[in-house]
Amino acid sequence: MAHHTARPLAESEPALKPKGKGAGKRLVEIPWWFIGIMVIALWAAFTILTSANYRQAFSWIIVGITVTIRTSLAAYAIAIVLGLITGLGRISSNVVFHNAARMYVELVRGIPMLVLIFFIALVGVPMAVGVFNSLGAWLISIGLEGLGTTLTSMSNQAVPMNIRAIIALSVTYGAFLAEIFRAGIQSIGRGQMEAARSLGMSNGGAMRYVILPQAIRNVLPALGNDFVAMVKDSSLVSILAVRDITQVARLYAGSTFRFREAYVTLSVMYLTMTLVLSLAVQQFERRLRKND
Amino acid sequence: MKKFALLSLLVAAGLVLAACAGTPTAAPAEPTAAPAEPTAAPVEPTAPAAPSAGLPDLGGREVTVAVENAYLPFNYIDPDSGEPAGWDYEVWGEICRVLNCVPVYTEVAWEGMIQAVADGQFDIAGDGITITPERAEIVDFSDGYIIIDQRLLVRLDETRIESMDDIVADTNLKLGTQTGTTNYETATTFLPADRIQAFEQFPFAVQALISGDVDAVIIDEVAGQGYLGENADKLKLVGPSLSSDKLGFIFPLGSDLVEPTNAAIKALYDSGFMEQTNLKYFGPDFKITYDDLG
Repeated sequence: MAHHTARPLAESEPALKPKGKGAGKRLVEIPWWFIGIMVIALWAAFTILTSANYRQAFSWIIVGITVTIRTSLAAYAIAIVLGLITGLGRISSNVVFHNAARMYVELVRGIPMLVLIFFIALVGVPMAVGVFNSLGAWLISIGLEGLGTTLTSMSNQAVPMNIRAIIALSVTYGAFLAEIFRAGIQSIGRGQMEAARSLGMSNGGAMRYVILPQAIRNVLPALGNDFVAMVKDSSLVSILAVRDITQVARLYAGSTFRFREAYVTLSVMYLTMTLVLSLAVQQFERRLRKND
Repeated sequence: MKKFALLSLLVAAGLVLAACAGTPTAAPAEPTAAPAEPTAAPVEPTAPAAPSAGLPDLGGREVTVAVENAYLPFNYIDPDSGEPAGWDYEVWGEICRVLNCVPVYTEVAWEGMIQAVADGQFDIAGDGITITPERAEIVDFSDGYIIIDQRLLVRLDETRIESMDDIVADTNLKLGTQTGTTNYETATTFLPADRIQAFEQFPFAVQALISGDVDAVIIDEVAGQGYLGENADKLKLVGPSLSSDKLGFIFPLGSDLVEPTNAAIKALYDSGFMEQTNLKYFGPDFKITYDDLG
């Protein structure tokens, strides 16, 4: 799974063991990088608390935090569903289902997220609204007034930009998560399926009660890492004028020319969120390993 | 596997061919590359500088001019030729002709453009920048070169909106504009922030208006007319002026180009060049003389 995600904290073991003895060895093992980040975070927190400009920037930017969190959570929830369905499709023997899933994954993974966001917001959604409208017109023509009128009166305004942002993020991440789910399912030994089948379970039942619970447990850390990545990528939706923390930071910088304050504060906010989330994922991974 | 590779190669080739078939002209030139001198006569550094007027001579030096290439009619990429064009290009071509300098145009994103000039990254920015006291703290402005009004751009079939009051009154209506502009600042004096959608480029805001995502766009009238020209069958300007402002070129603080540029702007008004260019880009209703700028 070497795709877009850097895993900030998931590297537990350095590849090369230092050759030193005693103190020298310990010096290497101290997580200096973490101390460094802590120092930066403390300095940033101190500055935000003590400098009037930074305080002002912070009070502006924090307004966008609900949109950032809401967008990330909603998009992730949809992406999980999309990813699970597509992941099952990728290993399905049904030719249509399998190829549809493969096509979706390949299409989405071949287009940069920024372009996808533009595409869905400016091309995809208006096109879909047009399709609904003509569908409604057709329904009216065959005498289904009520449903038809509902569809013809649907306008672009009915799908506000922050909904489009959620659609774009979930479509993108649905493809990433599909690969995680597929790998998770394929990591469960073939014997499990055979055992379940010989107990008289149906194919679907075996998948649901035997394979998936184990597979999902295996991929939980990867899913967590992708949520961290999604929180970061949610900053891209600011191009749709969605008022997430990136957008309000841009507005603040544009109005005041305090670019430094705006972007230092913004970076610290993202860093806080991603570090907390990464640590949570790490803890969770440890607990899983203990229970094995 | 080999078959698969061959197949994908064929598909890729097909895509490339299809893409080429759709574009009769060659690919547009890189706008940020070498100095594009769209319409100005080629500058000959050896030629004597400005006639008569006794303007300063910049000795053929290069000056970097930041433009967005996405702000009609000041600067844009001409869809027919693929070349950058617009008011900024014509006027800076002429200013450099009379001052004996070479304009090097650079495509810069609007967000951060003023800051970049303040930091000395570029000598000048065009882009129809409104003169404001806040901006004047970090950059030097030239004298104003035109006065503009901020107006509302709406869809052609719009009946709900006659003026800003209608937008204020109807909380369902959304207003679009561009981040970091005086239009955005003006919008915030009328509406709560969550009813304003600030895009990073005006074309994006205008597209959002056409597709019905926002109901009006607050924009400088001359720019609004530029977008109107492109979409005359879809848009109209409504309502009285919301604010009247002067536009000026910006320079890093203390730039030695401010005085020569001011002299050139005056000379261009005196020679009638400015009037012609304004008429060409801002439409037949646009009449302004240097005295109007005061």
